Amino acid sequence: MEIDPLPNGSGSVGTTIPEAAATTTAATAALKTTPSSKLSQLTESLKLEHQLLRVPFEHYKKTIRANHRAVEKEVSSVISSVADVADCNEPSKEDAVLNLTSLVSRLQGLKRKLEEGSRTENLQAQRCRARLDHLESVDAENLSEWNNVRLKRILVDYMLRMSYYDTAMKLAESSNIQDLVDIDVFQEAKKVIDALRNQEVGPALAWCVDNKSRLKKSKSKFEFQLRLQEFIELVRAENHMRAILYARRHLAPWGATHLKELQRVMATLAFRSNTGCAKYKVLFEPKQWDFLVDQFKQEFCRLYGMTLEPLLNIYLQAGLSALKTPYCYEDDCTKEDPLSQDSFRKLALPLPYSKQHHSKLVCYITKELMDTENPPQVLPNGYVYSTKALKEMAEKNNGTITCPRTGLVCNYSELVKAYIS
Amino acid sequence: MELNTIKDAFDRVAKRQKLFSSKSQEVVDQVGHEIEQALAKIQASNDPLSPIDLKSILTELKLKLNTMDPLHQLEGLQKERNINLSKYPKLLEKSFNPDISKAYRNVDFDFHIVNQILASHFYRQGLFDLGDCLINEAGEPEAIAIRSHFLEMYQILEALKVKNLEPALNWITANREKLKQNGSTLELKLHRLQFLEIIQKGTKGDALSYARTYLSPFASLHMNEFQKLVVCIIWVGKLDSCPHAELMAPAHWEEFTVELTQHFCSLVGQSSPSPLSVAIAAGIEGLPTLLKLANVMAAKKQEWLAIKQLPVPVELGKEFQFHSIFVCPVSRDQCSEENPPMLMPCLHVLCKQSIMKLSKSSSRIFKCPYCPTEASAAQCRQLYF
Repeated sequence: MEIDPLPNGSGSVGTTIPEAAATTTAATAALKTTPSSKLSQLTESLKLEHQLLRVPFEHYKKTIRANHRAVEKEVSSVISSVADVADCNEPSKEDAVLNLTSLVSRLQGLKRKLEEGSRTENLQAQRCRARLDHLESVDAENLSEWNNVRLKRILVDYMLRMSYYDTAMKLAESSNIQDLVDIDVFQEAKKVIDALRNQEVGPALAWCVDNKSRLKKSKSKFEFQLRLQEFIELVRAENHMRAILYARRHLAPWGATHLKELQRVMATLAFRSNTGCAKYKVLFEPKQWDFLVDQFKQEFCRLYGMTLEPLLNIYLQAGLSALKTPYCYEDDCTKEDPLSQDSFRKLALPLPYSKQHHSKLVCYITKELMDTENPPQVLPNGYVYSTKALKEMAEKNNGTITCPRTGLVCNYSELVKAYIS
Repeated sequence: MELNTIKDAFDRVAKRQKLFSSKSQEVVDQVGHEIEQALAKIQASNDPLSPIDLKSILTELKLKLNTMDPLHQLEGLQKERNINLSKYPKLLEKSFNPDISKAYRNVDFDFHIVNQILASHFYRQGLFDLGDCLINEAGEPEAIAIRSHFLEMYQILEALKVKNLEPALNWITANREKLKQNGSTLELKLHRLQFLEIIQKGTKGDALSYARTYLSPFASLHMNEFQKLVVCIIWVGKLDSCPHAELMAPAHWEEFTVELTQHFCSLVGQSSPSPLSVAIAAGIEGLPTLLKLANVMAAKKQEWLAIKQLPVPVELGKEFQFHSIFVCPVSRDQCSEENPPMLMPCLHVLCKQSIMKLSKSSSRIFKCPYCPTEASAAQCRQLYF
């Protein structure tokens, strides 16, 4: 990358004008023709935005719970400390003063923490509101701009899930949509993921403790999988005694529900990490750690009410299914169709073809839809073009028509209209 | 969807939480206050405090805190708040589609390809450092070939913004033949812009010599346009009264920019809107239908993953129609090379198989299903859309 990139600040706002302008005209044109169907379509598409509202709320709830737990824990421990001091048989003045002073400063600390906590709560509540406002703000006038923002949100979501944090942050900042994307939520995930990539389970286990009750509710076995991996690492290091102790402490509690897996992993004690036995060999492979990362991502998304797949993949698949026709894979596929590009074709390969109940005819020349306002006309050789294109051609060339695909020359009067129902 | 009800519901949650939060702080203050008071009492007596007095102060504090029962004070508020906290997500689930991944096919969606598409998209938008950043961060081994093309395009567009037409002219000259094949008049439009700039800012002489050198080659093909432009020279200095003043509108620069972008993209084998934007926009339009379909199929225990063609149409807007698809109104089949559309003498169109059926394999004359006209299979001819 030797070439100087263009200044991005101006690039993001200024240089995108041509396309923005093009989409605006397309959008307004479409709105003018069928306002009601476009609006109902808009309502339908807003219903897809569950994640946008849910994630910041889960984050807010999490802060609330943490603050609440801090109060409960500190206050009850202060009260019991007071009781301890009071119940002491031979209290000395110095001890009592010392103890009580330390309690007072502890409460002050708690208060500071609470103030900080409620500031965080307010910020997160604001974010929830900002997203509601954003959903409300969409209307016919700003639709194309709003759609642009939506695409950016979808892209940021994809990059965060793929751990491309820098790019995600850059895009969010340059488009000023930080309030509409979940960068801070994913920062929490980043710590765990980075650690797992370094083959450390500590942060992941701490995360499990933090979210214990909710993981239990969804019957998650992520913690068990982490423990199994730690056990495997002990076996790999041939630290067999510690492995057994570890298993007693951390694996045994899962025996009741996951006995099979437990047995399989315990059997590795009898093998070495260089075993040739396929069933156990896989357990020692480094890709087990990648598997844990994937597993963590799933648990994480579930906890925050996100879809398990990146939004980008979901929308892209839906779009490609809706666009895919056998014609997309032909050599003369128009460049305007995303499926004319190899990359999109590859992605669409395992997807179903779309289905049509009614004819949709696109003029070869103008690429516009042929309908009752712009009906199809047939040349003597059976080739069909839109009235608009043929009229324009005839006007330019004194009434003669040249078929762009076969070279046939004929007169405009020789054309007939075809009736397509 | 009632966004207002959702907003109200959220405001209730936030209000309850604020109440709870300030109450918690109050409770902490109370506890602190009691302890501080006891502490003051102990410290107030200068004489060595008798252990009995000390004990009584401490016991009093303990009792006070016990009767105060600070955590119990919070319980009522906490309960109310928790109800609101659990109600809100339920409301969201009811008002929105809680899981839009239901229509997702769990197929191998190669993320390298997705990354390349994303990077190309950023380059297409002129966001070069964002595209580069992604390629780096994702560790994509293959650089994107299209980058240099778009870089050139944005250099041309940046120059256009300051009304510098030179890079555009260079590009147009280099691609003159291909542009001509596409029926483009970009070159004329460019010279027109430059000429009108001279008219507005330069002298009559400059304008005339520019017209002689650069506009005259277009005179024979575009006579009207040429005359209009040259006529403007008369009004140099008082352009407001020029009958063709609209030619000077800044909108022409924008139009030129859009048109140049389109031609540039088409010459480098790209569509003018980013294909990613198009595909995602189609996805947003199509997904609600697909989700309904996935629900119905799940209820009927049909396999979503196995279907080769969607069982129902997903209606997309005009802007997503790229191919002519003829559906025979009789058989409801999509036409193909083996079963092409045929034009009957009455100008109605059916597919070949339907005509074969109606004519009993071209053995007899049949009536058009849409009008009283009769036809034989031999009279029908194939159409090419």
